Amino acid sequence: MNAVRQERDEAAIAPLAVRGLVHCYEGSEVLTGLDLAVQPGSVLGLIGRNGAGKSTLIRAMLGLLQPLSGTAFVFGEPALKLSDRSKQRLAYVPQQPEALAWLTAQQMLDYVGRFYPRWDRSFATRTLERWQIPPNKLLAKLSPGERQRVDLIRALASQPELLVLDEPAAALDPVARRELLREIALRAGESGTTVLFSTHIVSDLERVASDVAFLHQGKLLMQCTVDETKERYGRLWLPARISAAAPAQSLSKRRHDDGSLSLVVERDAQGQWPQAANQPGARVDALGLEDLFVEVAA
Amino acid sequence: MDASLFTVQPAGPEPIYRQIVEQLRRLIAGGQLGAGDALPSVREVAGFHVINPMTVSRAYSLAEAEGLLERLRGKGMVVASTSRSSQSEASRLAMLEPSLQALVRQSRELELPAERVLRRLTTLLEDEP
Repeated sequence: MNAVRQERDEAAIAPLAVRGLVHCYEGSEVLTGLDLAVQPGSVLGLIGRNGAGKSTLIRAMLGLLQPLSGTAFVFGEPALKLSDRSKQRLAYVPQQPEALAWLTAQQMLDYVGRFYPRWDRSFATRTLERWQIPPNKLLAKLSPGERQRVDLIRALASQPELLVLDEPAAALDPVARRELLREIALRAGESGTTVLFSTHIVSDLERVASDVAFLHQGKLLMQCTVDETKERYGRLWLPARISAAAPAQSLSKRRHDDGSLSLVVERDAQGQWPQAANQPGARVDALGLEDLFVEVAA
Repeated sequence: MDASLFTVQPAGPEPIYRQIVEQLRRLIAGGQLGAGDALPSVREVAGFHVINPMTVSRAYSLAEAEGLLERLRGKGMVVASTSRSSQSEASRLAMLEPSLQALVRQSRELELPAERVLRRLTTLLEDEP
């Protein structure tokens, strides 16, 4: 009876949720009061410029660092006091894994596998070979890229309900990257795995992510589904002579040398672009995610 | 039919689910896909193109709602038996809408009078290929 109720609650609870997150490094604010909830089964791609605080946000969400203020929950539990049961259900791959460096890749996988009830041993063996990791070399002697690949294998083999990857693309060549993305996509779609990954490769995100969040200047911009970003936002260009008609509200605004304006604008509830888009000479361009990101973050 | 039937451009400004629906419309209207032809499974398409299976499901559901596809028990998605004949003139015209919109925009940018553009369009349409 209790088990049933527990399961039902777990299905409804966002695997990751933070509220009012604030964090500073050396006096400058990296996260400035940020809210985010990752829904079960979604694949959230987190993008932001270098140094935007993506790793800090991820670590705070998982309770690996204590934020200055704000709360973080994992599977509904306070992230800073996570139960062992919840720890078993999640896998996190940092950018630079350092744990268990005195073991070989094979030893490490054999060792940690024992702690996970759903460990997929054959996946680990297979992928170790496919991603060209020497199984008998000490982790400490592997290159940073190889280290992260081993850690990705560990994370995937544990068949987690929640998978958190910090810049997983950095360590992989294009072929292995595709394989990883395929794993992410199929697991989310078929096993309902919830995934959060940060990346600066926007096309990766567009393939497999269901949702996107832009981390910019300590805040999350345009937190919505990937399809929505493409349908809801566009670039409005106004020639100099009508640039005064620019809408007051826009996500970004750039004036060009000739006095013309480019703005990132949003459709209203009726699906209409702002008034200025109807002026003669005005133009609205659809934007891919990368263009949108550059317009907003530049 | 396998998943290579579709081409997907993740970085394009058009959402992937709409790219797939658009291609289905064209393939069916053009006769490359005929009534009863089985579509590749959601898993196949997602795995082949490395995209989220939910995106493929969304595309298929939309195509089903439009009457392009139907779900057959045990066979998965197939091209609807009525899909070709039910293609009304209006729905075929709707497929031209994006090109027409682009044409209108460019004509305005070039400050061309509507009648000149229409006259030229009529000539092109009536010309034997």
